[in-house]
Amino acid sequence: MSTSIAALRALIEQRFPDATPLTQRTTEQVETGISALDGILPNGGLPRGRFSAWAPFGAATAILRAACDSAVDKGERAAWIDSDNIVAGAFWTDTVLLVRPKSRIHALRAAEELLRSGGFALLVIAGAGPQGTEVKRLTSAAHIGGAALVAITSGPASASLRLESRLLRYRWRRTPFGDPAIAQDATVRVRARTPGWNRHADFSIPVRHHELRLSLESELADRRGLPR
Amino acid sequence: MSYVCLWSPSWPTGADFPAELVAAVLQHSPRISVGDGGRVWADARGLTLGQLAEQLLIVSHEHGYDDVHAGAALTPIAAEVSAMQSTSPLVIVKPGNDRTFIAPYPLAVLEPQEPVADLLDGLGILTCGALAALDAEAIEVRLGYEGVRLWQRARADDDRWIFRAPIRALPSASLEWVEYGLKDPERLLFVINSLVGAICTSLIERGERAKEIALVFSLGNRTQRTHLVRSSRPSSEQKRWMRLIREALDTLTLPDAVTGVALRVESVTGNDGAQGDLFDRGFASAHIVEDAIIELTDDLGDVVVVPQNSAHPLVEEQTNWIPTMGGGRSAMGLGPAAGGGRRAAEHPSLTLQLLPTPKVVTVTTESRRDHEVPTRYLDENEWHDIIEAAGPDRVSGGQWSASYAREYFRCVREDGTMVWLFRGASQSSDWFLHGWWD
Repeated sequence: MSTSIAALRALIEQRFPDATPLTQRTTEQVETGISALDGILPNGGLPRGRFSAWAPFGAATAILRAACDSAVDKGERAAWIDSDNIVAGAFWTDTVLLVRPKSRIHALRAAEELLRSGGFALLVIAGAGPQGTEVKRLTSAAHIGGAALVAITSGPASASLRLESRLLRYRWRRTPFGDPAIAQDATVRVRARTPGWNRHADFSIPVRHHELRLSLESELADRRGLPR
Repeated sequence: MSYVCLWSPSWPTGADFPAELVAAVLQHSPRISVGDGGRVWADARGLTLGQLAEQLLIVSHEHGYDDVHAGAALTPIAAEVSAMQSTSPLVIVKPGNDRTFIAPYPLAVLEPQEPVADLLDGLGILTCGALAALDAEAIEVRLGYEGVRLWQRARADDDRWIFRAPIRALPSASLEWVEYGLKDPERLLFVINSLVGAICTSLIERGERAKEIALVFSLGNRTQRTHLVRSSRPSSEQKRWMRLIREALDTLTLPDAVTGVALRVESVTGNDGAQGDLFDRGFASAHIVEDAIIELTDDLGDVVVVPQNSAHPLVEEQTNWIPTMGGGRSAMGLGPAAGGGRRAAEHPSLTLQLLPTPKVVTVTTESRRDHEVPTRYLDENEWHDIIEAAGPDRVSGGQWSASYAREYFRCVREDGTMVWLFRGASQSSDWFLHGWWD
């Protein structure tokens, strides 16, 4: 019985290599550059030619952006499709290709085009989760182009790798009154799931603040920099 | 360069120069320039200098101009002097001997300006050779710019542009039919496809790429409709132009049947390739990425962008998104590994994600000393409890245009997400969700 199952598994692996579970480590990966995270991923990184889904919030954007930077740092390309147009320009570095489409369909078309080109190691779709046949098309494009495709979405269950992250606690610098003033860093828990695999890791990441040009009183006009 | 100068004291030059003689002369030299003072120039580059001069003399004699003299040399001044000053009908200056040839002639052959000529006469410099023997600095100090120009010509260093660069017509192709009017778009595309093919072949032969092609339809009502088709990237590929034209035709409505189509290249660029490091892994695939981005831009508009940030106090006003053609650094540069030298790996950090426009939310607050802090907010019919709130961070200004005053709070929800809420503190006291850290 066990022999026939093994033979059947070998046959399936031969005919449908994409269907092979990630735990068998047959795919190449794109390392995220975060050792704690790479350690809990089945391949030691985000799988190339596969579709991974990362649940929104909980530092998903921060971690994936660091993964993009890491790919660029290794001499490869990364692309970020900002479907909801929520990327703040002040925090963006132009080493990663940024696409700001006008609609969800445009986002998916852009993803397919870039994946098929074969010039990218990692492509992240933020805000436009593919569904049904869209997943199949994009996975096929990722397989052709050899890129790791990650969507920040809570949608499809057909993803090869499912990731979710949650911010557990913040470390604050406090005012003399004991009120929170500046969040210095946060502890994040990332969980990676795929058939036969369920692991998690905790690590801390710093919080970058936007430098506001503050005024002392809300009703006081900010005339700094203007001619008197 | 090499020149043949024809000179005759009797023939009219300028606009009155006989056209039939020009046509005859053009059969021997590709470029002819009719100058002033009875001079006609022929371009002898790539031709046998003496042979061309002889042929031109014969042609001139055949057209009734027997007193024509011809001079041939590698410089215009030597050719001119040999034609105009020599008594022989044909003088060929040996290559490299131009300066020696003009040296014994008086300075008048160089046609100096009167003040300079007077000065040189006063200095006792009477021949080209005497002037050429002087130092450039001495000439420049005493005679200025005009003197230097004259000195250069005396040394047979003549950089005059005798022949203007020819204006090359851009490729075009057209087809007209009079028996019937065409209304079927597929048949029209068939015709256009063949015209585009001809144009692209011509572009490839010329080593150019088109940036813009004008599509001119001749209509049954005897009018013309012109439509410009632009490519995000200059191209000489028939496939690309046909795709763009097909997309343009999808949105085009013509008032009558088509009786002719003309395609005209409006602007071109050379086949300049991107430069880069051959040892860069990404450089080899840069063109593939660039093609994909161009395709995206053609299909979806300017969606590939880079931020251009300012120091505006309002964060939503700080960034201007600039479209990048070809992806810019992210498509070509490939980061530090491409440029040599690696940087430290980027660590993730929670950064602000901004809503395109702040969203109105309902907020409940509690007092904290002299201000109110949010305790929970309602967004899309869901209440989110706030467990910690830092703030207020007050920004205000814009009294000279649109005034604003805001109190920002960084609030941590019960699920761990830190959100950015603000209360309008001037005209409106509504609460807004502006973004979150992720």
